[in-house]
Amino acid sequence: MRPLVPLLILAVLFAIAPLFVGSYWVSQLSYYLIYGLLALSLSLVWGYGGILCFGQAIFFGIGGYVMAAMTKGMISPFLINSYLSLFCSVFAASLFAVILGYFLFAGKGINGPYLAIVTLAIAIVLERLMSNWYAMGGYNGLLDIPPLNLGLFWFDYELWDSLPIFYTLLITVFVIFAGITLLLKSSYGTLLTALKTHPERLAFFGFSVLQIRLSVFALSAAIAGLSGALFVTVDGFASPTLIGFTLSTEILIWVAIGGKEMLMAAFLGAILTRFAENWLSEIFGDYWILLLGILFMISVVLLPKGLIATPLAALERKLGVRL
Amino acid sequence: MDLLLPLIDALSYILILVLIALGLMIVFGMMGVINMAHGELFMIGAYVMVVCQSAGLPFLVGLLLAPLIVGLLGLLIEMLLIRHIYLRPLDTILATWGLSIALKQGIVLIFGPESQSIASPINEMITIGDFSYPLYRTLVMLAAILLIGGTFWLFLKTDFGLQARAVIARPDTAATLGINTRQLYRSSFVIGTALAGLAGALVAPTISVDPQMGLGYLIPGFLSILVGGAGPLAGVLVGGSAVGGANSLLTVWISPVAAQIAVFIMAILVIRLRPEGILGGRK
Repeated sequence: MRPLVPLLILAVLFAIAPLFVGSYWVSQLSYYLIYGLLALSLSLVWGYGGILCFGQAIFFGIGGYVMAAMTKGMISPFLINSYLSLFCSVFAASLFAVILGYFLFAGKGINGPYLAIVTLAIAIVLERLMSNWYAMGGYNGLLDIPPLNLGLFWFDYELWDSLPIFYTLLITVFVIFAGITLLLKSSYGTLLTALKTHPERLAFFGFSVLQIRLSVFALSAAIAGLSGALFVTVDGFASPTLIGFTLSTEILIWVAIGGKEMLMAAFLGAILTRFAENWLSEIFGDYWILLLGILFMISVVLLPKGLIATPLAALERKLGVRL
Repeated sequence: MDLLLPLIDALSYILILVLIALGLMIVFGMMGVINMAHGELFMIGAYVMVVCQSAGLPFLVGLLLAPLIVGLLGLLIEMLLIRHIYLRPLDTILATWGLSIALKQGIVLIFGPESQSIASPINEMITIGDFSYPLYRTLVMLAAILLIGGTFWLFLKTDFGLQARAVIARPDTAATLGINTRQLYRSSFVIGTALAGLAGALVAPTISVDPQMGLGYLIPGFLSILVGGAGPLAGVLVGGSAVGGANSLLTVWISPVAAQIAVFIMAILVIRLRPEGILGGRK
């Protein structure tokens, strides 16, 4: 249970945050939690699985669109249950990942820079596709997506206010965070390290490299799909930008700046970058994006482990604990 | 229906795409560096033209200045950024992506996000029989052919090219034989960026120049390289023709968006099924 201590501290910090900030910041924090979850999914597949996916928003977008279409009753007016819709969005995202992953990785497969370019191209294709799919809202997207309904059977409990939304997300995100952390401590984590560093030797030991690669790709897609589904219920709006190229590269920047090989750093990377964007774009205006680009370059060249992961790792050594 | 016009338009698009992909290919084939900022260098070439036009300088001066300025920028980028990460090829994608964001936003801050238009220096049409085509576009095509030919000559027929190809094939052996690989990387990178700048300046009068224009050429450029095969230089010609030609010709029959989606999907299929590209042999 020791690896979960830092996580618990972070969760408590988040949980008491609404005592000190107004409702605007509580709803912002809800968004940050979702982005943090998305960053975790990329950190898992890229930092731990060694698959540089330039199109992580593909899965976020699929989750978001499936959730939107189901809860709005576009599939069938009887299939609007939030739990069922969440399940279907996660399932759709990971199913797409398995199919795409099989296409990309089976046999000789493609990897490295080729994979980055191909996933980027797929994200662009899907964004164009959703912009022109008029049944799914086309360029304008889907509006008025209902909020999460936590009710079971005869009760209805719709999440409209920022506080209940925030605490529901907080619990969901940290349970998943803890789940991934424990999973990576298990033998599966060792397999992933092997997959990333020496896939050939992994094959010599009798493991199916394809299976492991697909499993981590699908797991990451499922988490990204979940975050997409949660996002549309909070935002009430699903548009082609959710699935597209810009968001994909933004996630990449959060995770790279934070530190891809450390879940906590990736999570904080997303939250701090979004926070800085909120806060600094008021001060610096249009210069903020320029600053972000430069910061990203510096972080890649000088601190390839990440701007947040490097000090966190130093702290780890000093305290003798694993974050 | 008249097929001649779409065919010539396709050829013109292919030539520009090949010119852009060539710069990418020199850098990727030689150093394994994926330059995501290549589209932005192309854009800056076009913006040099914008500045020259508003300063009242003649068109040819702009054509001369664009590769010079962009090449100089390339030299700076190599010295400050790429040089430090040659040994981490995957990180070059990220670093140059950061660079691309910074360059794009820099242009937005200076010129604003709106698109600029550049007057074509020549407005005559050439007419053969009852077919006519803008003279300037024809000249751009000729210039592109010359530039592509010149780059091939440089890399296939000169001592510099021989050394460059030696470095591509066996970097360590080449270094042992006394070739200054770092110097060669630097000059190749500058040549690649200068080509992008010149291409941007050449086509600036025929397209809308805006800060987002780079990406529209970067991705097709990369797909051309991967489809053609990243090994031999001639792969760019095949890949560029396949991607550019298909895109341009499909646009005649289906909507531009559908054409682009179809081309991207076809390119991804080719890349998956023939990872060495159409021309690439088995390794």
